[in-house]
Amino acid sequence: MLGGMISDLETGDEFQPIRYTVTSLMTAEYAHGVEETDEWFLSDANPLGRQVRIPLMIHADKMRLLEVNCPAEARLSGIRGPDARVHYEYHARHRSPAYVGEELVVSGRILERYTRRRRVYLHYAMEVHTGDGRLVTEYTDRTLLKYLPGEL
Amino acid sequence: MSGAIDLKAGAMLPVREIVVTPERVQWYGDGMHSAATGELRRAGQNIHTDAEYAKGQGLTTAIADGMMSTAWISSMLLKAFGRDYLERGELRTKYIKTTDVGITLKILGRVRERDTQGDGSVRFVLDVWTENLAGVKLTEGDAVIEVRSLGNDS
Repeated sequence: MLGGMISDLETGDEFQPIRYTVTSLMTAEYAHGVEETDEWFLSDANPLGRQVRIPLMIHADKMRLLEVNCPAEARLSGIRGPDARVHYEYHARHRSPAYVGEELVVSGRILERYTRRRRVYLHYAMEVHTGDGRLVTEYTDRTLLKYLPGEL
Repeated sequence: MSGAIDLKAGAMLPVREIVVTPERVQWYGDGMHSAATGELRRAGQNIHTDAEYAKGQGLTTAIADGMMSTAWISSMLLKAFGRDYLERGELRTKYIKTTDVGITLKILGRVRERDTQGDGSVRFVLDVWTENLAGVKLTEGDAVIEVRSLGNDS
């Protein structure tokens, strides 16, 4: 169910898409956060001639989607749920670079909510397109809703 | 030209050892929050930055965000495959055990397959993973990169 907490999400939920324009600050700060010093992400001085959005930012895009679609647990705004979520799987397919200054549209849905070894998982699917329709990233993600000790 | 074109099946990419310090974990949180909001932010108290809160969530101590391991693997792939990784790469990582703050992590990648395609491009499949100094695998996954850019700068 959309509109509540992340733990309320169910199989088939389709997120309201979000739009934003990639800025140099977003890209450079994420790059700093992962200690990536290559010019690809910090300036235009690279073989593509434009500052590139670091592909890992799909994870920040997931946070943006959840902020809008799960307002009762708007974590970027400091609203926390009762249980910490634990990321379990990242799977990104790069389809084209996105650049600083481009508008991006992020869409997504819950492929499945399932339980394995007493743990509840959400399986997300997301896509990032530019505002004019070019596919940038296809992404799937599995997240554990509550940590339990032992092998994941 | 991507230097990866010379890699053969079985070849290891250069190994990196990283100490997972609290400062690095905070940097990641700050960077992610800043990227997701478009303004300079500092990540607050969570299972990555606060050991007591993490213990209250059933963990033994604060843990690194899984994305940090993915990012260090991604950086290894970027160094090896350059533009081809950015434009057409695929990366999957699974966090099979927690990465506790304070440990030393090894970042590893090995070429599993190398196939020349009909159009002259070369398709690489790699196993990628992280492990602690005892050799216990913490994150595992794979990557696929098609190298086309024989004339491109990497």
